[in-house]
Amino acid sequence: MASSTTLLISILLPAVFAVIVFLIPSKLRALRNAFSLIGAAIVLCLGFYLFGVKNAELNIPWLGMDINFDLRLYHLNSLIIMAVSVFLFLITIYSFVKMKEHPRAREYYTYLFLTVAFVNGAVLANNFVLMVFFWESLLVTLYGLIAIGNKEAYKTALKSFILVGFCDFCMILGIGILWYLTGSLNMPLAPLDPSSSGLAAVSCVLMLIGALGKAGVMPFHTWIPDASKDAPVTVMAFIITVIDKMLGIYLFVRISLDFFVIGMNSALSMFLMILGALTIIFALFMTFVQNNLKRMLAYQSIGEVGYMILGIGSATPVGIAGGIFYMLNQTLFKGGLFLSAGSIEHRTGTTDFDKLGGLRNKMPLTMICFVICAVACCGLWPFNGFVSEEMVMHGAKETGYIIFMIAAWIGTALTAASMLKAAHSIFWGKENKELSKIKESELLITLPIIVLALLCIVFGVHNYLPIVMFVEPIFYGYTGFLEHSGFTAHALNFFNPVAITSFVCILLGVIVYLYGWSKNSKNAASSSESVRSFPVLKNIYNLAEAKIFDIYDQGLKFLKVLGYILYYGVDRVIDFMYEKIIAGTVRVVGAILRFAHNGYYANYLAWCIGGLIIIVAVISLLS
Amino acid sequence: MTNGEGELLFVFIVLPLVVAGIMPLIGKLSKKVVPDILTNLTTFFLLAYSIIVGKQIIFSGIYTTKFSWFGEPMNISLTLDGFSLLMLVTISIVSFCVTLFSIDYMEHYGHKANYYSLLLIMIAGMNGLVLSTDLFSIYVFLEVAAIASYGLVAYGLGHNELEASFKYLMLSAVASGFIVLGISIIFACTGSLTFSEVAIGIHLVNAKYLVGFCAALFLMGFGLKAALVPFHAWLPDAHPSAPAPISAMLSGVLIKVSGAYAIIRIFLNVFGLTYALSTVLMYLGLISIFVGAIIAIGQNDMKRMLAYSSISQIGYIFIGIGTGSPLGILGGLFHILNHAVFKSLLFLNSGAIEQATGTRELDKMGGLAKQMPLTATTNAIGSLSVAGIPPFNGFWSKLLIIIALVQTQHYAFAVLAVLGSVITLWYYLIIQRNAFFGKPEEIWKNVKEAPFWMSCATVILALLCIVIGVTFPFVIKTFLVPATDILASGVSYLYNFLGY
Amino acid sequence: MNIFLLCGLVCFSALAITMHNLLKSAICLGVASIFLAVLFFRMGAPYAGVFEVSIVAGLITVLFITTIVLTKREGGVKERKLTNIFFLLFFIIFIMIDFFVMKGFIGNLPNMPVGSPNLAENNNFSKVLWQYRTLDLVGQICAIFAGVFSVLALFRADKKENNNE
Repeated sequence: MASSTTLLISILLPAVFAVIVFLIPSKLRALRNAFSLIGAAIVLCLGFYLFGVKNAELNIPWLGMDINFDLRLYHLNSLIIMAVSVFLFLITIYSFVKMKEHPRAREYYTYLFLTVAFVNGAVLANNFVLMVFFWESLLVTLYGLIAIGNKEAYKTALKSFILVGFCDFCMILGIGILWYLTGSLNMPLAPLDPSSSGLAAVSCVLMLIGALGKAGVMPFHTWIPDASKDAPVTVMAFIITVIDKMLGIYLFVRISLDFFVIGMNSALSMFLMILGALTIIFALFMTFVQNNLKRMLAYQSIGEVGYMILGIGSATPVGIAGGIFYMLNQTLFKGGLFLSAGSIEHRTGTTDFDKLGGLRNKMPLTMICFVICAVACCGLWPFNGFVSEEMVMHGAKETGYIIFMIAAWIGTALTAASMLKAAHSIFWGKENKELSKIKESELLITLPIIVLALLCIVFGVHNYLPIVMFVEPIFYGYTGFLEHSGFTAHALNFFNPVAITSFVCILLGVIVYLYGWSKNSKNAASSSESVRSFPVLKNIYNLAEAKIFDIYDQGLKFLKVLGYILYYGVDRVIDFMYEKIIAGTVRVVGAILRFAHNGYYANYLAWCIGGLIIIVAVISLLS
Repeated sequence: MTNGEGELLFVFIVLPLVVAGIMPLIGKLSKKVVPDILTNLTTFFLLAYSIIVGKQIIFSGIYTTKFSWFGEPMNISLTLDGFSLLMLVTISIVSFCVTLFSIDYMEHYGHKANYYSLLLIMIAGMNGLVLSTDLFSIYVFLEVAAIASYGLVAYGLGHNELEASFKYLMLSAVASGFIVLGISIIFACTGSLTFSEVAIGIHLVNAKYLVGFCAALFLMGFGLKAALVPFHAWLPDAHPSAPAPISAMLSGVLIKVSGAYAIIRIFLNVFGLTYALSTVLMYLGLISIFVGAIIAIGQNDMKRMLAYSSISQIGYIFIGIGTGSPLGILGGLFHILNHAVFKSLLFLNSGAIEQATGTRELDKMGGLAKQMPLTATTNAIGSLSVAGIPPFNGFWSKLLIIIALVQTQHYAFAVLAVLGSVITLWYYLIIQRNAFFGKPEEIWKNVKEAPFWMSCATVILALLCIVIGVTFPFVIKTFLVPATDILASGVSYLYNFLGY
Repeated sequence: MNIFLLCGLVCFSALAITMHNLLKSAICLGVASIFLAVLFFRMGAPYAGVFEVSIVAGLITVLFITTIVLTKREGGVKERKLTNIFFLLFFIIFIMIDFFVMKGFIGNLPNMPVGSPNLAENNNFSKVLWQYRTLDLVGQICAIFAGVFSVLALFRADKKENNNE
């Protein structure tokens, strides 16, 4: 079947382009750009083609033992492949200008294409071992992409490698347990009930850690803000906010729909919703006090993962659909915001709020797009963020626990406040004299942002379109979902209590911001200082900034102490034994043996004959 | 089982022999180019042909050819089964890379034609050995390969080379003597020399102690060729003295073909692996692992260190075979293939370094990675393979051997084998650190990367290390399982062969 | 007669090993192998004998002598007394074991399977060589080739030196 080989091509083609780009010498930039453009264009076409194909399978014997090179295309992963290919195309155009002067641009493009190849492999894989294979390969490209940032980037790269690697390890462990339970490494068609046995629950939680850790849920999020500082902004926009979120949520959806049964209001669902709510609140509180655009966006993207988890974790059809739709929307507006940040950084060289100001006249396109994406991000009607947020909240409402909705509302308010702060301090506010000669970025940079901003509007105004085309078909074949068809019944309807409360929350966020702004001598950049100095929040913020909540840092500290103990308690002892006993023995025995190899023929012959005698003796004794 | 009509298998012996025969004449016409091309073509043809024939074997089982001369059948019978095929492919791979390497490397030795003819005869001898079906033929071809190798070891003509060759020759002569003695006793008992008849004969005459005695004689004779401790003394002198491609050939293939192959074939298929033989093999293997590894640590001469390492790795092969379980045999055979690949890679690299720097002393080298990046990389791959680091090929074979040891409940052996592996890693790190990393020495500033063909050969072998390591399930399935089946079925294989 | 030949063989072999002069020891080895070959012939194993003569006594000895001449070192290796004693000890033990084993072996020689072609009385040398051991003949050719080439290879330096002179 032609379409089944296309599945293989969709993995191999980006990899081939990665190799081609890698082989082109760094000096031939035009050639490299040409090839990356062609590659991205072909991948884009392929993405659309596969989305059209919808259903295809490919099964090639691979390692034996039930481990086949088994690819399966269906709606959910074809959607992700298409989205990734669109983003690849946009980011490639964007990078022509943004990564022009980067000394390691060649590696960058190679990793970019490799990442796409691995993502396609990971989402297409219909076998756990195959999926893990691609999944782990992504870890390597993630490391490489972060490491090509600034000088400190390798540390951040290591941090993300270890944190994500830990999550992946959990996932592998979970898969191992699932394998033990079901006896099959092919993606199971019959979902397991995690409450049926302890092992199943453990397996489910472990796999969830793997999926959500990749998406950046608390407490595995700490590498993302660091990466926003150190990694190139394109990497941040494409890999971390788009690919990792998509993959994480993809696996999350697979887990909650295909691998395990997560019932509404079950313990697992509650756990997930609490996790989502906590992530929203914590990350968005951190967002509000950031003074750097990229770092702020990074925290915000973590908070948005919280929304997705809240939606999908609610285990209600509306919630799950909302979570998936939120993921799509988030990639649009957050990608647009990051690219805008890149555009600003490209011209001004900084993204610190207090160094920027008054750019609205100088970079109008960037400004407009930024504002559109920001408004979408706040969830304001009629942009796309509104619809998905409403769906998530309705999902949470259906579970009957209002508290989760309250968390989401708080998040909305905080998002609004922080977006306002960002837009205000960058595009309005006091103009920085050093930036008086700034011009709008090149077309190649603004074009992708414009596309994303337009999509934000289209997906918001015509929200029926993406929901019917992209989201709804995911649930074909799952019982209990299609009855709820018409997820959009209340989506467009602004006048429902939930939506109105959200709107009020946004207003609340604006008021909080304005209060801070006026309190802090009308300086936009420091408007969050008053929130920061609230009695309880102050302590939390101080703790957070001291990286108390960073499990990586805490882990390092723990390891240091452990290392100290081990060093003197175990290592020195073993070292002593090693030095004195093993190395000593080897040295002495070696010396004796070397002395015995004295080069005398008769000596050697004597050994031979001696050996023969012993062998004869042994053989006759034993037989 | 299929019986071939033509001279198919005979090509493996006759082709190199004929080419070797005409080589001196060609050498008169063209000193370098034509012998280079002709030899490489020959080895390449053998490699391709072995794979083609191998495919047949894999699909249709054992393959026997009877040779006829102008329609009159002659008493030559060659058999190719899975085990022979494995050895044949190993020989072909290594010999192809070695001849490729020799194009550049042997320039300064002169008389390339002569060198090539000796090398080809050695290959012919080894091919004959693995294809022959009777004890005496094994002995004859053993001698062929051995005589050619004496000449090749002494090829440098320095005092050390000659002395090493002489020592090698003297000890080998003793080994040959014992082998002949063993063969004679077998002949006297059974009245035949072909494997199948001998296997049946031994079964019939039921002379346990006599067979044991013969086994001991063979173990000593072939064990000397395979450089098992305590019969290894010639190897640390002979292998480093030879030119690098020959060291690669000797360490990579010759010791396995003339030693390990013969022992495995005779013990497993002809005698049948008794408890006594298995115990002796395992202990010899263990002793070899440790003696080889421990002496290797103290060496300063790179090639000498590699030579001792060969002894150590041969130990792994025997310990695997000695378990007698199918998995252990599989591991042992896999290690034969792997060791051939990475040890010849390492020896070729040592030759590249020697040619570039003029020294083999590890403490004189340093920081060569900058000047010779390709050699450094391939050497690192080879070192990691030999030390058994995943995912390189050496890891899997060692793993299989260790698993087999655990399965057969030789826990102490398993632990010691792991320990031996650690020591191996230790001294390969010494090589890597001293030669390639470390402080760059001023004198090596002008050192250049190895010439094209030399790099080509090492890169092929390094890639093989990775490819075999990554696709090990495939390699095991296609090459090793047929070989293991034949060995694991033991004596009954030959019974079946005769239709009993 | 055979006993004498055997004694000669053992003596010369032992001499070859303990001799301090490499050249002499090589010659002793050659002589020993000739003894062995004669023994083979007398005991009715012509092809083994032919092999012994052609390969061991002939070629290898030639190789030996060439090697030794080329090394150009009088006296060669100096051996330590201890190793010699060591060696002799092992050697004597081995001969004793060998004697006992062989005695037992010859005493209980099992019945030979009848009809093995190699053992038929009326086989003369050429017939043995051509009809039953054809493969070995190929092997022999290889071996002779190998020897010749080795000698060629080892002598090439002499030519070079001569040319230089």
